[in-house]
Amino acid sequence: MKVTIKNWNAIAQWRWDIGKEFDETDDEDLCGICRVAYEGCCPRCKMPGDDCPVLWGECGHVYHMHCIMQWIEQQPPNKQNCPMDRKPWITAERKTANTATQQTQAVQS
Amino acid sequence: MAGIASRRLQKELKEIHTQGCPVGIQLLNADNFEEWHLSLEVMGESQYQGEVFALKFRFEPQYPISAPAVQFIINEKYKAPVHPHVYSNGHICASILGNEWSPVLSVIGVCVTLQSMLASCKKKERPPDNDRYVMHAPDNPKKTRFHYHDDTV
Amino acid sequence: MASPGVQALVEAKWQSAFKTLNREEPGISGLLKTSQARQLASDFLRPRALSEPRRKYRADVMANAFRLLYQTKQLHGVLENFLEEMRQQRHLITEDVEAYMHEYEVRPYAFVLVTEVHETADSQIIAQLVHRLVEWFNAWRPTTETDGHPGPLESLGHVAIDSYTDAFQTHIYSVLPPSFSSGFKDLIASTLPVSDPAPPPDRALWDAFHALGLIERYESLISSVCYELVEKHVVETCAGQWSERMLQDLRDWMQNKVLPWMCLPYAPGARTMEEAGASLHGVGPRFDFHVCKTLCDLRTSEIFDIIVDYPDSIDALYDLKECLYRVDQRSNLVQSLRKANKKRLLHPGADTKDILAQYVSTIRSLRIVDPPGVLLYKVADPIRRYLRDRADTIRCIVSSLVGDNENGESLIDDEPPLPYLTKDAEDYSDPHWEPEPIDAGPDFRANKPGDVISTLVSIYDTKDVFVKELQVLLAQRLLAVTDGNYEKERRNIEILKVRFGEQALQVCEVMLRDMTDSRRIDQHVQSQKPSILHPVIISRHFWPSLQSGSFVMPQKLRSIQEEYAREFTAFKPDKRLVWLSHMGSVKLELELQDRTIEAEVTPVAAAIIELFSEKDVWTAGELMAQMQRLDKEHLRKGLNVWVDLGVLKEEGADKYRLLEVAEESSKKEGTVSAPKPKELPAVQTTQQQQAEQMRVFWNYIEGMLTNLGSLPLDRIQNMLKFARGYDRSIEQLGMFMEAARREGLVVVRDGMWRLNK
Repeated sequence: MKVTIKNWNAIAQWRWDIGKEFDETDDEDLCGICRVAYEGCCPRCKMPGDDCPVLWGECGHVYHMHCIMQWIEQQPPNKQNCPMDRKPWITAERKTANTATQQTQAVQS
Repeated sequence: MAGIASRRLQKELKEIHTQGCPVGIQLLNADNFEEWHLSLEVMGESQYQGEVFALKFRFEPQYPISAPAVQFIINEKYKAPVHPHVYSNGHICASILGNEWSPVLSVIGVCVTLQSMLASCKKKERPPDNDRYVMHAPDNPKKTRFHYHDDTV
Repeated sequence: MASPGVQALVEAKWQSAFKTLNREEPGISGLLKTSQARQLASDFLRPRALSEPRRKYRADVMANAFRLLYQTKQLHGVLENFLEEMRQQRHLITEDVEAYMHEYEVRPYAFVLVTEVHETADSQIIAQLVHRLVEWFNAWRPTTETDGHPGPLESLGHVAIDSYTDAFQTHIYSVLPPSFSSGFKDLIASTLPVSDPAPPPDRALWDAFHALGLIERYESLISSVCYELVEKHVVETCAGQWSERMLQDLRDWMQNKVLPWMCLPYAPGARTMEEAGASLHGVGPRFDFHVCKTLCDLRTSEIFDIIVDYPDSIDALYDLKECLYRVDQRSNLVQSLRKANKKRLLHPGADTKDILAQYVSTIRSLRIVDPPGVLLYKVADPIRRYLRDRADTIRCIVSSLVGDNENGESLIDDEPPLPYLTKDAEDYSDPHWEPEPIDAGPDFRANKPGDVISTLVSIYDTKDVFVKELQVLLAQRLLAVTDGNYEKERRNIEILKVRFGEQALQVCEVMLRDMTDSRRIDQHVQSQKPSILHPVIISRHFWPSLQSGSFVMPQKLRSIQEEYAREFTAFKPDKRLVWLSHMGSVKLELELQDRTIEAEVTPVAAAIIELFSEKDVWTAGELMAQMQRLDKEHLRKGLNVWVDLGVLKEEGADKYRLLEVAEESSKKEGTVSAPKPKELPAVQTTQQQQAEQMRVFWNYIEGMLTNLGSLPLDRIQNMLKFARGYDRSIEQLGMFMEAARREGLVVVRDGMWRLNK
């Protein structure tokens, strides 16, 4: 018997690639600031995904971009730290498996 | 902008309801997203054995980006603990409520921190500048620029 | 011995009397004349049998005689004498009455089934009796009309006629037996203008009634004949006739048919309607009220079916409204409808969507009858409470919200959606403000409904449940869309936003956007590297819980997924894909030795058949081991797809063989196409979960009924309460049993359930 697939309508979920292996049973990862799942959206947004992306810190912590930016922006320049580890916040350039070692830059505005 | 604070607090409240509070901490009142009351008790051996305190949290719309205003409640039922970082009007001199605030902290997180602050107290005494501070203190402790007594809490 | 003085006095008196009697005539000639006059009058007045021939009297002679008697002051005595003689003669009348009544009563068919004909025959005897009595009445009446001209009887004075009439009527009433009244009623009824055109009225008969005073005496009886006429007519013409206004027709009928007839008893002698108007002044409104009351009673008894027929029955509802203005029977209406609803609607056998449809019709119907909504509030309460307890109510409401009814009817039709808000305070500046009706309850205003949908939604305390259900429904529908046309869903969401608020429907917005994004992404991926795979990429947290659990796809299928995922990540570098492998559909072609089969199947079935392309025989256990994390249920379903298509064959215990060559029985010509899987995407509804749980309890029920024969629902419910984890209401149990009955598992009789053997 020869099986030929003609067409396949499938359903998939997208996830932020936060650098860890997908596990079926994992607890949802939450943004520490708004406590909403990364794949959800921050309190200011209505649409998840590209409209409400997440930012990776050099330190490895991940937040909704809008959440961490709002925090950083209202801190004095010498205290723009990651809320988790209080180390200076440096946004990582896409901390994915294939692009992990790209140059990093601090987010300042 | 009612959104941020209320949505975050909603989540915290849900968590409290589903997971419960840590030992010694109880939610007294969280009828709105502006002010919550919790009771605080130091478990095990401590200077405050048998004493129950109450905390008042006041939230601004920007919470958790902005820190909550936290103080001990003083009324017929509750007194402020006698502690080197707690003024007799209930105001608390703790860096995590001021410049060390982090948006990843939560109401329960603050309670736990204050609980351990009390637990680690060796000597029950008021801050040295208590009388002077209390005389001029604003109603909201967030309006005060504390000089933090030490950075260990 | 009397003294001379006394003698003189007596003498003088005698002389005076004599002079009066003798009318100052000489000698006793005057006295003689008086005596003759008296003789003449007595003979004239004497009551006699009708058979006895009556002498002719000359009017002028009689007039003279009466005048003489009057002048000599003897008239009174003559009349006394007449009445006394009447008393002695009245047995003649009595005998007559008895004879007629005997005939009336012994007519055998009077006791047989009463039909028109018999009634008429019977009442004709009464009519004859009435005419006979009038004959008596006229025969004995002290008048000189015997020669056809009204004589100067007025000299006798009205007093005389009145006392005669009184005496006569008193007598006949005392001798008429009780059966007369029913006969009389029949007789009156026979005069009713029931035929069209009505025959001219029998005036002689009505004159006779008036002469004998029967109208006054039997006034209530005549009224009741008329009431019965109205009732009969209303029921005959209006019962079940809901598609036109009837009240005006009824009033016209009263005006044109009944009123002229009513003139006969109530306005005798009136020649025109204007003349009659005055006499009928008090009677007309009374009967108009009765028309309204009868129609109101009829419509009240029919109200449930009228509502079923809405909107075809709108006219009946307008009639009812008008009747209720006139007749206050609002509470009757409420009770009647509540009772009918309980009996016919709110029971386990009724489908939720039917209950909802009837509820919606009830809302619309009662708003016509009672715009303030008090009646609706009272009627709706039990329906709402019942619906709240039904598991599938929300689902039904939501389906109808998005126009998903099987018959294509949506509950949202003509009404513009009102914003989701309720006014608490009364707005007295509203020119249409009206005070609350007096039968409104204290909590009435607060529940005043907006539009139908908000009324339905308000069955529940929170609209969240709807949004959740809506999400499930939308998910099913979106995932079933294959042509990329989501316009209908988008429009529905827009409508619902107005109702539930934008915030609540945000998740639905995200779902819609996922759909369009997926299409865009797929176009991009296909342009980079064509694939037969076309996924819908969804945002988790925004979709209802979909069937997850990832089994291991065979290598060939898995590499298709992986390739697509790689292209996706290249396009969206921050994102990865997680496949929900259970969901979706696969179109494939099987080339077997003797045939080619095309089929569109679930991914599980596709995975299974892919494994069979490696090896012809698999056991269920081997397949499970190969695919991992796949539950038996899905495996069995997947295998069955191919067994049904004659591709696989079950051989012994859980062993399946690929049929490279079709077996005789299932051999088909050329290419076989399998029907597309009909199932909706496996989005779990709360109802499905409940139904599944309920099946567990079926074992208990079956055991119970096996051991105990038949049981009423409440017993079953009480016994099930001992089962662990049983938390169903008796309503839910009822629905379940009803479903079991439809499946032929049980039968119910007089509320007792037993197993169907």
